[in-house]
Amino acid sequence: MTPPSASAERARLDERAAVAPPARRPRRPRRPDAAALLHVAEAYALLGLTIALIVLFSVLPATSDTFPTTANLQATLGNQSVLAIVALAALVPLVAQSYDFSVGATMGLASIFAATVLSGGTPLALALALAIGIGLVVGVVNGLLVTRAGVSSVVVTLGTATILQGIVSWKTGGQSIVDGIPTSLTDFGSGNALGLPYAVYVALAVACAVHWLLRHTPYGRYVHALGSNANAARLVGLDVRRLTLSTFVIAGALAGGAGLLQVARSGAGNPQVGPGFTLPAIAAAFLSVAAVKPGRFNVWGAIVAILFLATLNSGLNLAGVDSYVNDFANGIALIAGVALAGAFGRRRAGSA
Amino acid sequence: MSSLPAEPSSVPALRVREVRKDFPGTRALDGVSLDVLPGEVHALVGGNGCGKSTLMKILAGVQPADAGSAEIGGAVHDLRHFSAALARRCGLHFVHQQSSVFPDMTVAENLAIGRGYETGPLGAIRWARLRRRVAAVLERFEIAARPDDRVDRLRPATQTMVAIARALQDQEVAHEGVLALDEPTASLPPDEVATVLDALRRCAARGQAIVFISHRLDEVLGVADRITVLRDGRVVATVARDGLDHDGLVELIVGRRVEPLAAAAPAAVREAADAAPALEVAGLAGGAVRGADLTLHAGEVVGVAGLNGSGRSTLLRLLFGEQQAREGSVRAGGRALALARPRDAIDAGFAYVPEDRAVAGLFPELSVAENLSGGFAGDYARHGRLVHRLERADARAAMERFLIRAASPEVAISTLSGGNQQKVVLARWLRRRPHVLLLDEPSHGVDVGARAEIAGLIRAAAEEGTAVLAVSSDFEELVALCDRVLLMREGRIAGEVAGAQLTVERIDHLLHSEAALS
Repeated sequence: MTPPSASAERARLDERAAVAPPARRPRRPRRPDAAALLHVAEAYALLGLTIALIVLFSVLPATSDTFPTTANLQATLGNQSVLAIVALAALVPLVAQSYDFSVGATMGLASIFAATVLSGGTPLALALALAIGIGLVVGVVNGLLVTRAGVSSVVVTLGTATILQGIVSWKTGGQSIVDGIPTSLTDFGSGNALGLPYAVYVALAVACAVHWLLRHTPYGRYVHALGSNANAARLVGLDVRRLTLSTFVIAGALAGGAGLLQVARSGAGNPQVGPGFTLPAIAAAFLSVAAVKPGRFNVWGAIVAILFLATLNSGLNLAGVDSYVNDFANGIALIAGVALAGAFGRRRAGSA
Repeated sequence: MSSLPAEPSSVPALRVREVRKDFPGTRALDGVSLDVLPGEVHALVGGNGCGKSTLMKILAGVQPADAGSAEIGGAVHDLRHFSAALARRCGLHFVHQQSSVFPDMTVAENLAIGRGYETGPLGAIRWARLRRRVAAVLERFEIAARPDDRVDRLRPATQTMVAIARALQDQEVAHEGVLALDEPTASLPPDEVATVLDALRRCAARGQAIVFISHRLDEVLGVADRITVLRDGRVVATVARDGLDHDGLVELIVGRRVEPLAAAAPAAVREAADAAPALEVAGLAGGAVRGADLTLHAGEVVGVAGLNGSGRSTLLRLLFGEQQAREGSVRAGGRALALARPRDAIDAGFAYVPEDRAVAGLFPELSVAENLSGGFAGDYARHGRLVHRLERADARAAMERFLIRAASPEVAISTLSGGNQQKVVLARWLRRRPHVLLLDEPSHGVDVGARAEIAGLIRAAAEEGTAVLAVSSDFEELVALCDRVLLMREGRIAGEVAGAQLTVERIDHLLHSEAALS
């Protein structure tokens, strides 16, 4: 019953197959199958959601005047740049399955000390070195307590966070340090290039560096291996303690550096701001598991998560909702991030 | 010595009928039936893989059977749908060799955990009442402990007794239910064993039905009234202890006549005068290993056979620096080694494939290529940057050479079959051409086809000069894979079989006969 044209077609195909050299079987099917589509959907769902929010707030009558403006874009992104660096700080230990809840307090402490020495006339470079140095010290202390004393990283870093905040109160008496911050720094903090705040470029540069470190160096690979299976990591010869310690040191250094950027953005050393960064930063680090490279904590996933949270918060603020709604959003984001991290982890690890 | 109710009309406390259980590729239990009478100690013995642990798991309701039933106290239960809760309700009590007590809690707390705490009107635990009750239980079982003693301060035998008392504490009538003990003496020093066995005899004398599992045949012969021997998933025989001697029991377990003990194999001496041995171990002790001596030459595959608790896995961990040795020396290629951590062993050219892939071998979230690189991702770094292209190319080559079937080097390792996962763990080391390869159960959880391929990869590595030390509880695997097999017993290398002597029966026989190895 086959129409003759079709059988002729098949004959031609057969003939061609007979003379053509054996074709290499393609590695992947040309047409994306359902699994591949699902993978893409998973990878970019959060980004898509962010874009949907941007569109929503741009057309929503309550926010359409204020949300899609250059000023709001610059303010939103600029304000998130410090948070982005603090989130990247939290991300590095998280990849190794350790938790650093002291990143916000470290940033706060570094910003206070940097503001203090700057107002005393210390050059900018030295202030930056001091901010990073403070973070390094905090990181070493965290790391040693976790690896040598064997205390859970959650407990250690919650403890150090509390102590750091105590140092900040003691040092400042609760007063912001506003005098004597060099204008070169505050100009940088409020300045723009190509329509975006300088701080955004700083955060992007840090993100690229952390991405490089985690994805393109042997060190980053070992941190991933440690996070995947600490037993197996030890048995392939990795120094588990030193690796764990190093992730806290990197987290501390990043958080410390973020402290100076915070001074630049706000023009002051504010003793209240630090701890407030911790939970959004951890939330973004956890949510990274659900974006860009699903199933792994990753830098660009964290950045997408920050943009998502920023868009949401900015839109809600401009819509005039009470600020507690933001608290709800951030809390839900943290829980969702941890839940997704668990679900993705189980699926990747247990799908065999 | 026996308090077995003699009358044949005695109703069994437990009647197991026609239990069958299939695992992929093997039939673990093939129509097993047995009766356990009130007041008897019924020993269950057999070599590794005979099916006794599977039977215990089924009776404990941990694993469903494919067929079979159990009758307890007049009620018949289908073992295909048995559960742990049901087993408990029926009065089947299990005491396992490990994890049976909470060491840092008191005796009273340990006993209370089995049945729940009694609380007062405000939800507070009624400690006084609990102590009184526990004191009564301790007296009943003649346990030398007080309710407030911490369990880890007690003698090992007493700890075991606490576990037994916890299992039996709720029985109103002494001969209710069945007590099943899985290797209760395995972790006890010899002088403590007698205490536990005496206590078991006293329990039985009160009418308790006891199922007793042990590798130690002397204990079995000392304590049991009747003995059921399992081999290859079948009941070989159920015999009365009287009229059975040690050799007779070994013969039942091994399945053939026992040769005179004097014919134990002399150690096969390998000549390799031209080169220092790849591995020389002298007096190595640590954990369950109590003074092991062995020598391994380049290019040979040497097996280690031993019963549970013989120290076979610990031996490998000591050699890889994963566990610290108390004493003894390890030399590789004539050089003395200090093995403080795995890195030291790796630097000396050692490689180790652990027993449990999931726990200690795999990085489940990482890709095949990343798993293959393991701790050596640095090999693919140029100026500090990982060159992923090089790593993938190498991973593809390794997949081809080591017969790893995966869609690409980038897929997550957890998507692979058990056999392919094991080949990845093996290839991680083999492609570095180790001097000494330490394998713990190399074909654990691997299907038959991959098993043969893995054996081929190990032999090929040996032909290229690697010295292989392989621990396995599968004696057929050892016979097929190894040039010679070391027999391990109580932390020492107690003998060796090679050449024509290297058969499953011979290993089985030697491991079960004390005299042949001492």
